[in-house]
Amino acid sequence: MRKHLIHGLTSGIVFGIITVFLLLIGFLSTIADLLLVAINIKSLESAGLSAQTLNLLLFLGLLGVFTGIRALRGAEPLSWVQAILSSTLAGLVHGLIAGSAGFILGTLTDNGVKLTTYLSAMLPQTVNLYILNRAPLDGATSLLLLFTLTGLVGGLIAKGLGSRKVGERAGAFWQTTVTSVTELPAIKRVQSSPITRYVIYGILLLIVFLLPQRLGQYWNYTVGTVGIYVLLGLGLNIVVGLAGLLDLGYVAFFAIGAYTVALMTAPEPHALGINFWVALLSGLVLAALAGILLGVPVLRMRGDYLAIVTLGFGEIIRVLSRSDLLTPFTGGPRGVRDIAGPTIFGKPFNSDIDFVYLITLAVILIIFITNRLQNSRVGRAWVAMREDETVAQAMGIDTMKAKLLAFSIGAAFAGVGGVLFASRNQFTGPEDHNLMVSINVLALVIVGGMGSIPGVIAGAFVLKGLPEVLRQLENFRILAFGALLVVMMIWRPEGLIPSARRQLEMHGEEPPPEEVIQQVTKPASAEVES
Amino acid sequence: MAFLEVHDVHTYYGNIHALKGISLTVERGEIVTLIGGNGAGKTTTLRTICGLLKPRRGKVILDGEDLADFKTHQIVYKGVAMVPEGRGVFARLTVEENLDLGAYSRNDRATYASDLERVFGLFPRLKERRKQVAGTLSGGEQQMLAIGRALMAHPRILLLDEPSMGLAPILVEGIFDTIKDINREGTTILLVEQNALMALSIASRGYVLQTGQIVLQDSAENLQANEMVQKAYLGIE
Repeated sequence: MRKHLIHGLTSGIVFGIITVFLLLIGFLSTIADLLLVAINIKSLESAGLSAQTLNLLLFLGLLGVFTGIRALRGAEPLSWVQAILSSTLAGLVHGLIAGSAGFILGTLTDNGVKLTTYLSAMLPQTVNLYILNRAPLDGATSLLLLFTLTGLVGGLIAKGLGSRKVGERAGAFWQTTVTSVTELPAIKRVQSSPITRYVIYGILLLIVFLLPQRLGQYWNYTVGTVGIYVLLGLGLNIVVGLAGLLDLGYVAFFAIGAYTVALMTAPEPHALGINFWVALLSGLVLAALAGILLGVPVLRMRGDYLAIVTLGFGEIIRVLSRSDLLTPFTGGPRGVRDIAGPTIFGKPFNSDIDFVYLITLAVILIIFITNRLQNSRVGRAWVAMREDETVAQAMGIDTMKAKLLAFSIGAAFAGVGGVLFASRNQFTGPEDHNLMVSINVLALVIVGGMGSIPGVIAGAFVLKGLPEVLRQLENFRILAFGALLVVMMIWRPEGLIPSARRQLEMHGEEPPPEEVIQQVTKPASAEVES
Repeated sequence: MAFLEVHDVHTYYGNIHALKGISLTVERGEIVTLIGGNGAGKTTTLRTICGLLKPRRGKVILDGEDLADFKTHQIVYKGVAMVPEGRGVFARLTVEENLDLGAYSRNDRATYASDLERVFGLFPRLKERRKQVAGTLSGGEQQMLAIGRALMAHPRILLLDEPSMGLAPILVEGIFDTIKDINREGTTILLVEQNALMALSIASRGYVLQTGQIVLQDSAENLQANEMVQKAYLGIE
């Protein structure tokens, strides 16, 4: 058998299995319902197709097209005939597997077998939807036809575009959109002219000010959460992105901020009744101090060791917070309730909308600070240290001091985040401070683009905002979210909005080969002395 | 009193006794070279001088001051600059950013521009490539950058660790000519080399290092004429 046919066959089998798997876990009916919300296709009553079925067909069709595209991947160069044969074979095999599954399940359901006893998602209506509400054989044949056709279409698309390039093109497309926007002459001019820039800032501020009024309570809550994660991300960005210290226990400083405000303002356990603003400042200072205290012993370690030690520190804080020892201060596993919100001139300022404003203000302040730090002497020391610690020392950089500074500033930002989070929720407990917080923040920094402020903001929206948007997917929310992250990291490993430096590194121009040859052949006198 | 004096230094890597009592001196304005084969302890000596390694016994004295209690970054402020082995440029930063970091220990921004011009005068290629990421430079250019970066600190003494490593012979000659120029402008130089022929051709004095000990010390001409040096390092039978 020819190589391209084998490719088609394997591709068909793989996608056949994927389709059946998606069917068995009940994902197909969910996605059909979801698409109904998103694009709202009108049903074709005349053809006997409901809107839901049409949506299912749309999704399966896309899957079929992708099968055809995949069938040609890595098998270039193919002639048109070979491409058509290969992709049609892939579609046929895909259809055969998917169709047989539909036929078997459909027949079983028709004969009154209760599939739900074995597979909880296999309700009769789910199976019926899958075989397009027809007789099992009829439905299975339709599926076979659908996949064969779409596989062929996918093959033609891939052949037309050059199949190997499809993935790369999608990545390059994003790249060019972002750069073409930032490279637009208009944007350049705006960036260089202070007046237009202030106008833009003004408009942005106005949007930030007006938008929360328009959003409902739920969305304001979500936006607030995103904002807090932007704060955390900006802090960790300094530690990981700029100074290159992998901190997996970042949540510890978040917890310190949260428990500080809890202890100082909540009626229980101590009813200290201290003002929120004092608590905010204390949380910031205490977190920064904790950063230094932790930093002194552990920052002598490098790389992986540092990651493990900080991971341990994060867990220690969480375990301590729920321990009997500290229950008189932290409320143990029950946590602390009725944490006070801020007041302005005696007026309470603690609705979800108010907090959106407060968090936004904090984000703006911290962006300003981070920006200044990045371009300062300390910022340069961090970058040098991240690149090569030993050489950085040989440049006269006190790496211990630079590390401690990065650690404590990052911790202070997390402390502010913790204070705001606990105060907004009016509650904090050990479950708010588990390892997942550290991982989420690290993930948003990486997804957004390490060392880049806009990247962190975009990352926070994707990581904390997207799951809310994806809530329609119900049980498959996390599955879809994980898949999205994987796809993103394959296509865009440097992050959504990478810093200029990382962009250079990933897509930088190598010196053209002729120059290298020149260097070797040119006489040394011209090379060095001149 | 010599400008730099290394006195009976013993340095260890864990339990490995790497330097077994090294003593050497460098006078102001000199080029002194330290030659020897792989694993002789050349790099270890340099790392000990600039404080990256601490000697278990012995002293490093710069201009009459014992460096024992100072950390690397403080020693840099005292006027010691190192060009590390394998060049050690910040590969992901641009040429200009590298040079900028070289001047980190300088607090006066006023001389920065003239320092930069001086480096670009010595290495015009770096000026052409000032916005380029250092990792994409050729080996020779990276070496130029490493030397230029060290010069940005206005060192009183420059420690060079194998500047000839991995470079084509014609490039090596150019680099060594520049080292001579830098010395002529008043910078004291301690040069560690495996390429003994080149090193001895520009140095005034030399030390021969073997398994952590100095086995020979003499003027450069005498070392070049020495039979043992010729056999072991110059490839002359």
